[in-house]
Amino acid sequence: MNFETVIGIEIHCELKTNTKMFSGAAVDFASEPNTNTNEIDLGMPGILPSVNKEAVASALRTCYALECEIDPLIKFDRKNYYYSDLPKGFQITQQFYPIGSHGKIQIETELGKKEIRINRIHMEEDTAKQLHQIEGSFINFNRAGTPLIEIVTEPDMSNAKEAIAYVEKVRNMLYYLNVSDCKMEEGSMRCDINISLRPYGYPELGVKSEIKNLNSVSNVQKSIEFEIERQSKILLSGGQVEQATRRFDEASRSTVLMRKKEGAVDYKYFPEPNIFPIRLDANWIEKIKNTLPELPSERKSTYTQYGLSDYDADILVQTKEVSDFYNEVVTHTKEYKLVANWVIVEMMAFLNKNNIDIHKNPLSPQYLAIMVEMIQAKEISGKQAKIVFEEMMNGKDPRKVVEEKGMKQLSDTSAILTLIQSVLDANPQSIEDFKNGKDRAVGFLVGQVMKASKGQANPAMTNKMLVEELKKR
Amino acid sequence: MNFNDVKNKDIKTACEESLSLAKASQAKLNAVVSFVEVEQQVKELSNKNANSPLFGVPIVLKDNVSTKGILTSASSRILSNYIPIYDATITKKLKEAGAIVIAKSSMDELGMGGTNLNAYTGKVNNPYDVNRISGGSSGGSAALVAQGVVPFAIGTDTGDSVRKPASYCGIVGVKPTYGRISRYGIIPYASSLDHVGYFTTNVSDASSALEVLAGRDDLDMTSSNQEVQAYSKLLDSNVAGKKIAILVNVQEAIEDTTITNSFNHIMNTLKEKGAIVEEVRMNDDYMKALLPTYYVLSNAEATANHSNLDGVRFGVREEGADLVEIMINSRTKGFSSDVRKRFVIGSYSLHVDNQEKLYKKAQKVRRVIVDELKTIMNKYDVIVASSSGTIAPLPNQKCGEDLSVSHLVAENHMLLGNFSGFPSMSLPQVMVNKMPVGISVMAKAFDEVNMFNIAKAIEEITGLENIVVGGDE
Repeated sequence: MNFETVIGIEIHCELKTNTKMFSGAAVDFASEPNTNTNEIDLGMPGILPSVNKEAVASALRTCYALECEIDPLIKFDRKNYYYSDLPKGFQITQQFYPIGSHGKIQIETELGKKEIRINRIHMEEDTAKQLHQIEGSFINFNRAGTPLIEIVTEPDMSNAKEAIAYVEKVRNMLYYLNVSDCKMEEGSMRCDINISLRPYGYPELGVKSEIKNLNSVSNVQKSIEFEIERQSKILLSGGQVEQATRRFDEASRSTVLMRKKEGAVDYKYFPEPNIFPIRLDANWIEKIKNTLPELPSERKSTYTQYGLSDYDADILVQTKEVSDFYNEVVTHTKEYKLVANWVIVEMMAFLNKNNIDIHKNPLSPQYLAIMVEMIQAKEISGKQAKIVFEEMMNGKDPRKVVEEKGMKQLSDTSAILTLIQSVLDANPQSIEDFKNGKDRAVGFLVGQVMKASKGQANPAMTNKMLVEELKKR
Repeated sequence: MNFNDVKNKDIKTACEESLSLAKASQAKLNAVVSFVEVEQQVKELSNKNANSPLFGVPIVLKDNVSTKGILTSASSRILSNYIPIYDATITKKLKEAGAIVIAKSSMDELGMGGTNLNAYTGKVNNPYDVNRISGGSSGGSAALVAQGVVPFAIGTDTGDSVRKPASYCGIVGVKPTYGRISRYGIIPYASSLDHVGYFTTNVSDASSALEVLAGRDDLDMTSSNQEVQAYSKLLDSNVAGKKIAILVNVQEAIEDTTITNSFNHIMNTLKEKGAIVEEVRMNDDYMKALLPTYYVLSNAEATANHSNLDGVRFGVREEGADLVEIMINSRTKGFSSDVRKRFVIGSYSLHVDNQEKLYKKAQKVRRVIVDELKTIMNKYDVIVASSSGTIAPLPNQKCGEDLSVSHLVAENHMLLGNFSGFPSMSLPQVMVNKMPVGISVMAKAFDEVNMFNIAKAIEEITGLENIVVGGDE
């Protein structure tokens, strides 16, 4: 490949508010089509918009998380175009004065860490949802007017891996912020990719294609890979890439031309006259800043301070619910590493194997903490713990399980010593073998002590004491 | 007819009489789009506020005021079958106050015009001389009040659309401060200039009506939280010490000596009563710039505001091969050529290549004009001028297309009230050849009290109160 790839991404994300961006109708996609609408969402004559304060709060949270500069004077503009999914004939957006600008976010790929600059974050309203069937086109206005934020990067990414890392990182962050459910497959988060190629070392950007409405991380990857190949072929054969808007066609795994730049719509943006500029109260902004939920990066750094590896910390924060669970467990115990192991390995495996949604996780964080403490106190062995864990997944108290199954480890030194003495007395040959340097004899004798204790003797303790006693003989 | 005339009659009789008068006047005035039956409304009066000045009063609404279940056409063909699913905020307020709607009145299509010649139901005639225009765009409402059909009618005022027909029809027309009356549910013309206004036959009725209509509405973010004052209780015609400014640019542009003589007489009498009357002059270029600036801004906003009128979800739909064709056909047939012309002009000034030199420039000019007006207004209680330089013109006169200085200034100065949002009203000044001409009073933002008080003083000087044409010709 002779070319450097330059990628910028626009993420559209539906906000998880109770009501719409500019009307009091409920936001709920699951309900019957066209039930969560009112005259405002339907664009009836005479309606006026009222700004949803909770949506502004969500946008502010996102701005803080992406380290943006905040414009405390909120202004909206009209974007004019005719389409059946846009009942007013214009969309209310923030073209001229976005709420946030000049932000940044750090991503990590196998090539290392990289900072992606955020150009802007702005608020707008979603359009209605269209369904094209054989009998005709159907429009569901439940989605019309849903609050959206759009996050636009600078052209700072140079391959599909970075693009994916960025999308996943932002998605996870928005999820932690509780501003969106971020379900790409359901359309609550969509990506537009701007991609162009240029010879390495060239200062100027090449001509870009915009790929619209990508609804999965995998499609982001496929469309970028396809575009790189398509554009380099054109360039290598001496052609020129045409500036155009394209879409990704899943069936052919290729990008398809939607419209060329020359046919671009003039949206005739102008300030929305029905919403005066809103000066955000400094105290309110401060309150939102101070009550910002903990972000994945912050949690990760807490975890590494706990002594977890980068790898383990990453796995924990990857899924907010898993991280939440972990945090709950470690309010009951300081065995951070051991808890992480049980959460990452056993719990995740169990949920996967039984196809249980993390939201329906039957494991009690407190029980897991108790069990981990028992392991640490050598009251039960690791092997026993696995049995206890299975029972805990049925909601059982680990203390009960241990008691019922008679698992309690013998850690009483005098009791263990008595067992050791009687085992040694019964096996003089093994003592002889030990003296002759046959280490295997120790294993045999520990096994005998364990057997005599019905498996309840603490194996480590037994081993240590047994060797001491052998030396005395 | 005034509020007291109604109070002395049985409500049902009064309202039925009023409806009959409206029907009887239709052949003469052509002012009504829809008649509304009163029986049910009168029955529902028992749970309404009997202390309201509008209790049991028959009223007329301009046909751009949304009325649930009742045709609201805004005198446009495209809406000639449109029945709203909701009530405008003022419709609700008037119902609560016990007002009885007897008719929806004709207007210039979508509020675009100053003549009421451009309504899909045909032109509205002036009650004093049916060969002359009523003025517009609230011509139907003005004509019905002037005819003596109702003592109160709602109008809207984007560029003097209440005050100019009030002047031509010899009644009181009020446009309060921008944000004083909710615009929710009013089919708009140009949102930043649109005001709800109204007509009465005397200043006292005008002052009490505002108490019913004014107030914050959460559905209109531009509506004000300022307290609604007791305008009728505070009504006081004592002008001693009041500072009154004469806008000389207007007076100099008026050629009719009957009008200038009457104006001077009123001013001299106000002086004798202790008012401080001074001449003020706005920059002449600004005065001449009012109309072109208005034309650019109002049509730009209008082209977006009316993008929802596409025949797809409501209104008259013309068939077409696809969605775009349906929209084009519906809009082409649904609007008059004058309205289409205005959309083209509005769209042209918002076009990305023209915005800077047209739309944005017009916004700047508006600001400069308002800044100068504010400087003057701050030194006075009110600014006064003749509402018009002539009596109501004949339909074949150049109504509105005239770019002479006298027309630009004398006939368009009331735009100052729309540009600034300052409260402004017109009341009868003098009869010229049996045709009325008004005088306008403008005050500081939210200082309707001074506006009404000085208007009351003028009304006492002219004696032109409660003048209606009557129904016997």
